[in-house]
Amino acid sequence: MSEDTSYVPTAQLNVKPKTLLLITGGGLAAGTLIVLGAIMPAEYNVDPLGLGRLSGLARLWAPEEKTWQPGAGMDPAHSSNIPSARTVVEIPLGASDWPEAALEYKFAMKPGQTLLYKWQALNEDGSPVTVPVEFDFHGHTLAKDGEEMTVANYRKNQALADEGALMAPFDGIHGWYFKNQAPDPIRIRLEVEGYYELVPPGQPGNEFRIQPVSAQPEDQALEEDDVQ
Amino acid sequence: MGAVGSSTRTLWIAAAAIAAAMLAPAAYAHAIGGKDAAFVAATVGPDPLPFMYLGAKHMVTGYDHLLFLLGVIFFLYRLKDVLLYVSLFSLGHSTTLLIGVLADINVSSFLVDAVIGVSVSYKAFENLGGFRRLGVSIDNRLAVGGFGLIHGFGLATKLQDLELNPNGLVENLLAFNVGVEIGQLIALSLILAVMTLWRTTKSFPRFAIAANALLFLAGVVLAGQQLAGFFIVGEG
Repeated sequence: MSEDTSYVPTAQLNVKPKTLLLITGGGLAAGTLIVLGAIMPAEYNVDPLGLGRLSGLARLWAPEEKTWQPGAGMDPAHSSNIPSARTVVEIPLGASDWPEAALEYKFAMKPGQTLLYKWQALNEDGSPVTVPVEFDFHGHTLAKDGEEMTVANYRKNQALADEGALMAPFDGIHGWYFKNQAPDPIRIRLEVEGYYELVPPGQPGNEFRIQPVSAQPEDQALEEDDVQ
Repeated sequence: MGAVGSSTRTLWIAAAAIAAAMLAPAAYAHAIGGKDAAFVAATVGPDPLPFMYLGAKHMVTGYDHLLFLLGVIFFLYRLKDVLLYVSLFSLGHSTTLLIGVLADINVSSFLVDAVIGVSVSYKAFENLGGFRRLGVSIDNRLAVGGFGLIHGFGLATKLQDLELNPNGLVENLLAFNVGVEIGQLIALSLILAVMTLWRTTKSFPRFAIAANALLFLAGVVLAGQQLAGFFIVGEG
């Protein structure tokens, strides 16, 4: 027996050409089918034959999950211990050259409490104002004597109307400073809905003793000693 | 054993092979993952034994390397031949594993793994006498050594995906390579034992055709899933 015979092709099978063709052709066809019909839908969510959807294999594919970490104190979900309320207030603003042209109105909110707001500047006859109102949407804590006050500035701009949402970042009063820039007196019609408490007239946040036009459920103005 | 019995068994083997191919996590074919990857990333300085273990584990669980080895030794009856071809394969993959990592050669692991799949089909086709049928004569030593080089690149890309610390890199790499050889030896002994037993059965010639046909199919699936990954995911 010569030493070299084993280094030339070692093939021991002598398969008939027809069988060889069947094996290679069938192997290529079946392999391609498995890749296109099963592996691609299951692993890559690509389904060229539609078989992945038919067989349900495509459902095996799922994007990788990554848990989102909220920033400090910024849990996106909150259960409320008070019922939601809806309030409409009308804030009168004097003509731009009057001292009453600017005032503030705020809501008492605990951290995480959320409200939806919508306001529009109206003339006294109810028609929309054409001169933009200056506003400063902000919030701050109610600091006791000698304590620091935390202030948060949300939005500062000029507009005829605005709407949006606020989630209170801390316990305090949150709301608007409005300044009329038109030569005639106007009013801001403000609608809010969500989790908040109305500031009783005269307390910080409602120094101008504004009464809601409507509030549901029942007028939510608190007794004076409930605030703070 | 009757014809019905043996064809039923062939079907079972075929079904098991296809199921295994489909259950394998295609996108991450035997990548080093999870806690092993975390360990490698955290390692600073030489740490030979754990790296040796990882190399062995990678080889024993690397079904594409194992299928190629199965194809290579399918018709090797003499221990001398087994040792020759396995040494050629080891020489090939050790070379590219070391060069690939140390020279930081970046090859898409999808493409390397696709060629590894092709090597499985190549060997099956050769076992079936396909090349002889085509009138092509390829030196088997060259083919096994050459595919060994490609398999080594496959090992290198898996290691490169991890952030290897340059401190102790050469030592850890050599340890990993020794582990690969140990793993290969363990896997090879098992495959060889089963093959030797199998060859003594009367139905071996018939199964040999079926087994190599399945090997061919498995190679096509391995190559196909890696090509799909390359074109869908991109440079992996």
